[in-house]
Amino acid sequence: MRSKNFLLFFSLPFIGMIVIFFVLSSLNRAYIRNKTEDLVKEQLEATAEILKVDISHFLRENYSVDEIFEPYSRRENIYYMALLNENREILSWRSQFEGYLPLSLQSAKNEESWIIDSPAGKIFNYFSPFSVQEGKAYFLYLGYSLKNLEEMVVYSRRNFFLIFGLIFVIGIIFSLGLFQLQRHYLEKKREAEEERKEKERYREISAFTSGVGHEIKNPLNSVSLIFELLQKKAPVYLQEEVSAGKEEIQKISRIIDQFASYLRPLKLSKETFSLAELVSSVRGSLIKESDKAEVEIRYVESSSIALNADKDLMNQALINLLRNSIEAGSGGEVSIKAQQKKKKVFIKIEDSGQGIAEEDEQHIFEPFFSRKRKGLGIGLYLTKKIVEAHEGKIEVQSKIGVGTTFLIQIPGD
Amino acid sequence: MKKGLSLLIIVYLLGFWSLSSGQEHQKPQHFYNVDTEKKIKGTIQEIIMEPRYKDSSPFLIIKLEEKKTHQKFIVEISPVRFFTHDFHKGEELEVVGSLYSKDGNQNIIARQIRFKGEIVILRDKRGFPAWRGGGMKHKKRRKGKGF
Repeated sequence: MRSKNFLLFFSLPFIGMIVIFFVLSSLNRAYIRNKTEDLVKEQLEATAEILKVDISHFLRENYSVDEIFEPYSRRENIYYMALLNENREILSWRSQFEGYLPLSLQSAKNEESWIIDSPAGKIFNYFSPFSVQEGKAYFLYLGYSLKNLEEMVVYSRRNFFLIFGLIFVIGIIFSLGLFQLQRHYLEKKREAEEERKEKERYREISAFTSGVGHEIKNPLNSVSLIFELLQKKAPVYLQEEVSAGKEEIQKISRIIDQFASYLRPLKLSKETFSLAELVSSVRGSLIKESDKAEVEIRYVESSSIALNADKDLMNQALINLLRNSIEAGSGGEVSIKAQQKKKKVFIKIEDSGQGIAEEDEQHIFEPFFSRKRKGLGIGLYLTKKIVEAHEGKIEVQSKIGVGTTFLIQIPGD
Repeated sequence: MKKGLSLLIIVYLLGFWSLSSGQEHQKPQHFYNVDTEKKIKGTIQEIIMEPRYKDSSPFLIIKLEEKKTHQKFIVEISPVRFFTHDFHKGEELEVVGSLYSKDGNQNIIARQIRFKGEIVILRDKRGFPAWRGGGMKHKKRRKGKGF
């Protein structure tokens, strides 16, 4: 699943859920707030009615308005209050804030309640008439602090954003966790698929090489017998060539046997030999088969290096690598540098050929992968198998137009 | 005896009448009345400090003479500790505030003043004092606009 699909599959439902939660919570909070405001208004109106009764009583008892207002002015939740006569003239007023009595007598109706915003918070205003005795009417104007309601709203809003933030963070962590799991699962799936394909190809290769090996082996045995006979009957001056021919035939036979055996786990026949001698032998074989006279193979080693390995297989591996370098190098030189560090031998094969494209680098050790017209794409695959059978590693570094370097690391003697 | 009692009743009734009528006619302290808002422009005549509200620190009071009518106004600005600008006699001042009369004087509770090109907001539109919340606000005068 690509990042875009991941976004669609996980992120969008999550974002959708968050949006729905946000909208529903906001609507719910707004509803509760409105209902609470209504409730508070009703409660405060009821309180104001009681207050009116008290004030009526004190007025009947001929208390002065200032005396009546005095105890109320000490109450924190009453921001301001005023008593007006029937002509709407203010008889007395109290306010916790200097000169603040936000009453417009021009616009005030006979009885109403409303809420205003102020720097001290929301204030519930109540303007209502009442009568003390027949024929004598008054108006009471009150401003109640809604600080507690506002504190509740702020508390609710803070909790909402806290919960919202927590859900968001948990959701993100959950989504990332899912994404990691999914990526891990897809990676494993891809690896398993690649492994399956490789095994499939390997089976095909096995079938193909077994068939080819079988087909070649029979005529090769006949040719070998012919060389045996030739060696016996050939004149002395031809003995060397016939012997060389016989040796090459036997080498082909061995390679075919080994080739077939690569399909099974490799069985190494180890012996100790000089790397310089092996390179010399490989160089001899390659110079014979190469039609590029200008190709120069140079070998440099830091000290005398001996390998304990399967000589034939290592021979085959080096031939494959050098052949590859010679075929890739258009007129350049191929150099082999060997170095022993502790118990490890490092062999570096460099050519100044055309190089390998970046996208091909990861495939060149795969069986039947080749960009050459004549190549089967088995050489480098076998080389890797041989190196790995010796508990070694092989890597390639290449740059188009500059050349290619193969790095082999195998245990020394 | 009867005469004395009648006199006592008359004195008592007169006293009660004067007390109750005094209660009704006692003028309450003035508040910021949004219905009487007015704008005046004048010259500073005098700067004084005096207590205005119960339990409040002294207020900065300015006596202002209106330019056109030469009418005098007593302008209540704010508590002295709150106001950070310097006024001087003879300087021009424009005031928006709530007007009321007291003892034959025209008084104004200032909501907003313009002074040396700067607008200082002392109260909000309903008269809530800036020194009790929100703080003093300053506005630079815009070209071609009054307030």
